[in-house]
Amino acid sequence: MKQETVSRRDALKLGALGLAGAMMAATNAMAAAPKETEVKFDEEYDVIVIGSGFAGLAAASKAAERGLKVLILEKMGRVGGNSVINGGAFAVPNNRDQQQFGIKDSADLFIKDALKAGLGINHVEMLEVIGKRAQETFDFAVKCGAKFQTGKKPTWFGGHSVARTIVTENMSGSAIIQPMAAFVEKLPGCKLMTRTKFDDFVMSADGESVVGVAARENYRFNKKLLSDDMENTGGTKKFFKARKGVILASGGFSMDKVYRKLQDPRIAEDQDATNHDGATAGAMLKAFQIGALPVHIDWIQQGPWASPDERGFGVAPLLTQQGLFVLGVAVDVRNGKRFMNEMADRKTRADAEYVILREDPKANPVAIGTEKTFAPQIAHAVEKGLQTGVMKKFDTLDALAANYKIPAAALKETIKVYNETAMAGKEDEFKKQTLKNLKEAPIDMKGPFYAIRLQPKPHHTMGGVKINTKAQVISGNTGKPIPGLFAAGEVTGGTHGASRLGSCAIADCLVFGMVAGENV
Amino acid sequence: MIKKVFLFIKSKLFIFVMAGVFIGLLFSLGMYEGLHRTSNDKFCIVCHEMAPMVASYHSNVHGGAGKSGIKVACVTCHLPHDNVLNYIYTKAKNGVVEGAIHFFGNPDAIDWHKNRQRRDEFVVDEGCISCHTNYTTNPNISEKGIKMHKHYVSLQDTDKQIGCASCHVEIGHKGLRSMLNYYKPEYEFYDGKFDSKKEAVEKQLLETLK
Amino acid sequence: MCNKKTLYLVGVFLFFNAMYLIGSEVSKTPPAQEVAVSAELQEKFPLKNHHAKLSLKCADCHEGQGDEPENFQMIGDEGCLSCHKSKQYLADRLKFMDVLHVNPHNSIHDGQRLYCDECHFEHQKSENMCLNCHSNDVKIWMKDTP
Repeated sequence: MKQETVSRRDALKLGALGLAGAMMAATNAMAAAPKETEVKFDEEYDVIVIGSGFAGLAAASKAAERGLKVLILEKMGRVGGNSVINGGAFAVPNNRDQQQFGIKDSADLFIKDALKAGLGINHVEMLEVIGKRAQETFDFAVKCGAKFQTGKKPTWFGGHSVARTIVTENMSGSAIIQPMAAFVEKLPGCKLMTRTKFDDFVMSADGESVVGVAARENYRFNKKLLSDDMENTGGTKKFFKARKGVILASGGFSMDKVYRKLQDPRIAEDQDATNHDGATAGAMLKAFQIGALPVHIDWIQQGPWASPDERGFGVAPLLTQQGLFVLGVAVDVRNGKRFMNEMADRKTRADAEYVILREDPKANPVAIGTEKTFAPQIAHAVEKGLQTGVMKKFDTLDALAANYKIPAAALKETIKVYNETAMAGKEDEFKKQTLKNLKEAPIDMKGPFYAIRLQPKPHHTMGGVKINTKAQVISGNTGKPIPGLFAAGEVTGGTHGASRLGSCAIADCLVFGMVAGENV
Repeated sequence: MIKKVFLFIKSKLFIFVMAGVFIGLLFSLGMYEGLHRTSNDKFCIVCHEMAPMVASYHSNVHGGAGKSGIKVACVTCHLPHDNVLNYIYTKAKNGVVEGAIHFFGNPDAIDWHKNRQRRDEFVVDEGCISCHTNYTTNPNISEKGIKMHKHYVSLQDTDKQIGCASCHVEIGHKGLRSMLNYYKPEYEFYDGKFDSKKEAVEKQLLETLK
Repeated sequence: MCNKKTLYLVGVFLFFNAMYLIGSEVSKTPPAQEVAVSAELQEKFPLKNHHAKLSLKCADCHEGQGDEPENFQMIGDEGCLSCHKSKQYLADRLKFMDVLHVNPHNSIHDGQRLYCDECHFEHQKSENMCLNCHSNDVKIWMKDTP
C-alpha cells in the first residue's frame, strides 16, 4: 500500500478522537474496573484466557489439560492473531536435533545471545526460564498436535551463535495454532469465543484480586477506525466469572495507531506494520489501570528490511536480509549515498532509515544488489518479488537511477568506492562485516541490478506488563502479584530487553503461556 | 367367419400391413439400440472434448459413484426429451458440430471456464425432474431446499427463469472446476503446475472407460 | 361411422391436452410473500450479481427477521451455509488451489475456520482478507472475491 503522510483530514480526525477520548476517559476513570458486587455473571469458568495466539493457547491447553474449565476470548473473527500469520520458527536452546547433529548449545549461551541483542536491559530471570524449559514446552506443543520439521539440522537465525531454531511443518505458526485450538475445544467444558472483545477486569469486592472479565459478544473489529479500542462500541455486554484466574495473552500493539505513535512519534498513523490489524494496546492498558507494572513500553522493534510497496511482512524481508543487504548497498535516493551498515542490528538500521524519512517521508531508501547476492535457497522468493513488483530488475545503473530519481553519477561513484574498498580488503565507513575475503567485487558492474524500496515496519513491541517467573502479573501498588491475574507473550515486557532475536517470540509465548497454565 | 379371416390373411392388404409393422419394429429396434449405444460417456467422449467432464462425472453419484452404483447417461440431462424428433435432431446436430471441431477445428480454443458460467444452458431441467419428481415436497430435502425449489417453480416461464444448474453448480460432475483447471488452468500462475494431477486423471479415465 | 370415430378420437386427444394444461397449472405455487423494498433501499443494499441472477428476495436470506428491512440482521455463517452446504464442500470445490496452497477456503493459516463475512459481503464490495498480508500476490492466485 502506498505510504502517505498524515492528511489534514486525519489530523482533524485525531483531534476529534482526542476530544471524544477525553470525554470517555472522564466517565471511565470514575467507573474504573467493575467489582463483582456490581455485576451479574452470565457464565462461569475456572480460567479465562484473553487472546488466542501462541501464549493464550499454550496457557489454555495447559490449564485444560489439568482438568480446568477454560474460556478463551478472541476479539477477531480469526483465531491466532499474529501467531497464525507468523513464520513458525521456534528457538529451542539445547534441543534434541542439535544434539543429534553435534551442535553444542546451552541455556547460558542462549541468554548471552539474547542479552547482546537486547542491549543488556533484558530481565535475565525470564530468559532463564525459557532456556530451561523450551524443549519441554516444545514437547507439550507436539502433544497438543503441533507439527514441526524435526530430525533435521536446526535452522540458524541471525544473532544466535548456533543453529537452534526448529520450524513448523508448513512454515507458519498455524501448524501450532490450529491443532492447539482444536485441543482445547475438544476438552469438556472448554470454549473458544471469536469476535468477543475483552473490555474490563472484574475485581473482587475489596478491589484487590481479579475474579472475572466483562466482554462483548458479536463484536466486530473495525480497522477503518483510528482507535477501535476507544471508538468501537459494537456487541452485547457479557460478564464471565473466572474461579481460578484470568490469563492476559492479548499480544503487542504494533498496529495501535494512537498508542504506538505516543511511544515513538516517528510511526505515522497510516504506517503499515508486519502485524495483523487487531494488534492494539487496549487490553494491556486495562491491566495497567488495575495496577500492573509497565516495562520497556517505548521499545518498539521495527523491521528495517520491509518494503512500502507491499502490505504486512511480505516477501521483501527475505529478499533484503538474505539478498540485497548481504553484498549490496542501501542508498539515500536524494544523494545516491550509503547511509548505514546494511548488516547492522534491526534498531540501528531502522533508526538510520528514519533519519531520512523524517526529512522527507516520500524518500524511501533503496536497496540495490546483483543476482549473486541472493542465497540459493531464496530463488523462489526472487521470482515472486519480481512477479509482484516489490523488487525491480534493471539492466543498467542509469535505468535504475532514473526509476528512483537517484542522481546517477553519485550512485555510480558510491558503488565504485564500495567495490574498491571491499576489494582492497579495507574496512568501509560503516564497518560492514560481510565484505571480508571477497574474491570478486560485491556488486558486479555488468548487472543486471535488483532494487527494493525500504520502509521500517513495527514488528514486535518489546514492552508490556511485568510478570514474575510464575507468569503472575506484578502490581505497582503492592510490588506483589495481583491475585487472579497472569500474563504471557508479547503483552509482557522485559524478557527480550531492547530488541528480540528472531524465532524467540514463539519460545517466549509458548513457555510462559504454559507456565501461566500451570500456575493458574 | 373362419373363411373370411383366412381370406383376409391371404389378401394383399394384410401382407402389406404386416410387412409395414415388421419394418417399423425393426427400425424402432435399430433406432433404440442406436440411440442407446450412443448416449453414454464411452461414446460421447470419442468426439466431445470432455475428459475433465467425464472424470468429474465418474466421481459424482450420477456417474456411478453412489452406493447404489446407478449411472445416469449423459443424454438424460444434456439433451431435450420433450419429443423424439427434437431429441434426435439435437443429438445429430451436436454430434456433427462436436465431431467437426474434434477432427477439423481447434478444440483448445473452447473456453470451458466461460462455458461453466453458462452451465444452466447446458442442462435440460426435464431430465433432472424426470427422476427427482417430488423436489418440492420430498421431506428429505432441507426446509431451505424446498423453499428454493418452490422459488424455482415460481420463476418458470417468466423472463427470470432459472435452471437446476443455476444453483446446483457442480451437479453431476463432482469437482468439475478443479478438473477443468488440471487441463486448462484459469490463472497463468498455475500453468504447468498441475501436470501430475492431469496425468493421474487421464490414467484413471482410461481405467474406467476400458 | 368414420366421422363418429374421428370425432371420438379428437375428443380424447383434447381431453388429455386439457388435463396436461390443468396439471401443469396445479404444480405452480403462488410466489412467496414479498417484503416491500423501496428503490432507495434497493440501491442502498444491492445484491451480488450471482444472487440477483437468481431473483432472490430479502427474506430468502433474512429468514424470520420480520418484514421491516431496517431491522434486518447479519445472517452469519449458518445463513450462508443453509444454501451453500458446508465449509468442507466449499473448500472441496476449490481443491485445485490446494496444490499451490492458496485455497482461500482451506487456507494454510486458517483451514476452514474463517467466518464467511470475513471476506464476502453481500451488500457492499467483498474484501479479500488475504490481501492484508499478500497484497501483491493475491492477484496472481485468484480473482476478485465474489
